[in-house]
Amino acid sequence: MAHGLLVKNDDDEVLIDSDFKHYHFLGKFNHTSVTQIPDIMEGGIANAAQGSNSNKGMQNMPSKGEIYKYTVSVNGTTPPMCFVKPTSTGSSAPFTGIVLTKQVSTNWEIWVFQSTVTSASPVLYCFSPLSQISNSTSTTHGLKTFDSSGGVTFDSRFKPLRVVGGGNITSPTLAHTGSTGSGYTASLNVNASNVSTSFTSQSSASDLIYYCPSIASACQEHTFSESDSGFHSWTYYAWARGDVWWCFYRSGFRIASTSSFEVNYGVYARGHVYEHVVDSTNVFAGLVLGAITGGAYFAAAIAAAIAAGAFTSANVDGGNYLPYENSYRNNSANAFIISKASYYD
Amino acid sequence: MSYGMEIFDSAGNETFSTTDSTWTLLGVYTSNADTSTNHTGVPVMTTRIVTRTMVDQISGDDESYVHTFSLSGSTLTTTAPSASETVKTIFMVFGK
Repeated sequence: MAHGLLVKNDDDEVLIDSDFKHYHFLGKFNHTSVTQIPDIMEGGIANAAQGSNSNKGMQNMPSKGEIYKYTVSVNGTTPPMCFVKPTSTGSSAPFTGIVLTKQVSTNWEIWVFQSTVTSASPVLYCFSPLSQISNSTSTTHGLKTFDSSGGVTFDSRFKPLRVVGGGNITSPTLAHTGSTGSGYTASLNVNASNVSTSFTSQSSASDLIYYCPSIASACQEHTFSESDSGFHSWTYYAWARGDVWWCFYRSGFRIASTSSFEVNYGVYARGHVYEHVVDSTNVFAGLVLGAITGGAYFAAAIAAAIAAGAFTSANVDGGNYLPYENSYRNNSANAFIISKASYYD
Repeated sequence: MSYGMEIFDSAGNETFSTTDSTWTLLGVYTSNADTSTNHTGVPVMTTRIVTRTMVDQISGDDESYVHTFSLSGSTLTTTAPSASETVKTIFMVFGK
């Protein structure tokens, strides 16, 4: 730095450097709507004369989380840093994470996924560089710095971001470990162990807010198929049934205590696809389940379900309902930052 | 506080202090879908963190890989794990 202002604390950490843009408080945002991904269900005959008619719905499937949608008014290409003020903290709190960040016209649309349904709602505390903040203030007290181009990089009147902790955290790999079910009973609940990491201890967990976008996902399924054929009362019969139950999980986070940050999954979307055929003229070799996954059409399934409020397979080719099978993605270290709501309330 | 600096607003509330900690935005870098990219000119500070945000994804448009990365000196190396299933990712580098 040839000229300007550089402020460090006694740990030699940079607090203010007039060469760089600092994040400042943009505002608190409440959700504009809340939704869940409708179940993606597709099947053949509901009550066949032959073969099992067990669980042609979603029995024993884990509950879905919910999605809160926010519109953050900040006009610029740099996405806002949105800290989550969760609905609760502690070892029973839901896991919450930002799953969508998208610029829409002069706003940013943010979706927050919470692993369980609650009456309370998460609140976003959002920050942005000053160049994207249109707030004004009449106060004349404080400190303001400029870069060499004359751009404002720090202005204490707009509540600069103050951090109390942070680090890296890595999601579990799979959301469900062990057997995924038996027969017509799926077992796909989240049973992975929480992953914890510590941060500098604070006085009140309920005052803490965190920034940590969700990037990890997992998709797991339970499949079962059955068929039979033969003669009964001098009549030939044949039937076959194949099922896939699946869950798509997204990672979320929680403040577990005044010094512990945790990550695990919640059920973001789920589905059940089956085919049950009764035919007295053919001997089945068994149903083909291989065409059920495929990834490329998962978007159409999700988008159609959101738009219609229910799933329709009209635009989904070949029964491609899942993004991938029994695996996970983006299970790598995720940076997180912790601050206090009381700094900005 | 026996030494350092405190900044107050006109109502006497502290808005910033040298007892605080913060992260300063050093840069925002975008790696497009399915493309590995080296971003150069990343400012250096003693401690840096990198956050990743997948952009414009409903979740599941594809397999939604986000880029992996390494940060060394002034170069942020971002790698698309899949040539066809990696989403656009925004990297924000913070320092202190």
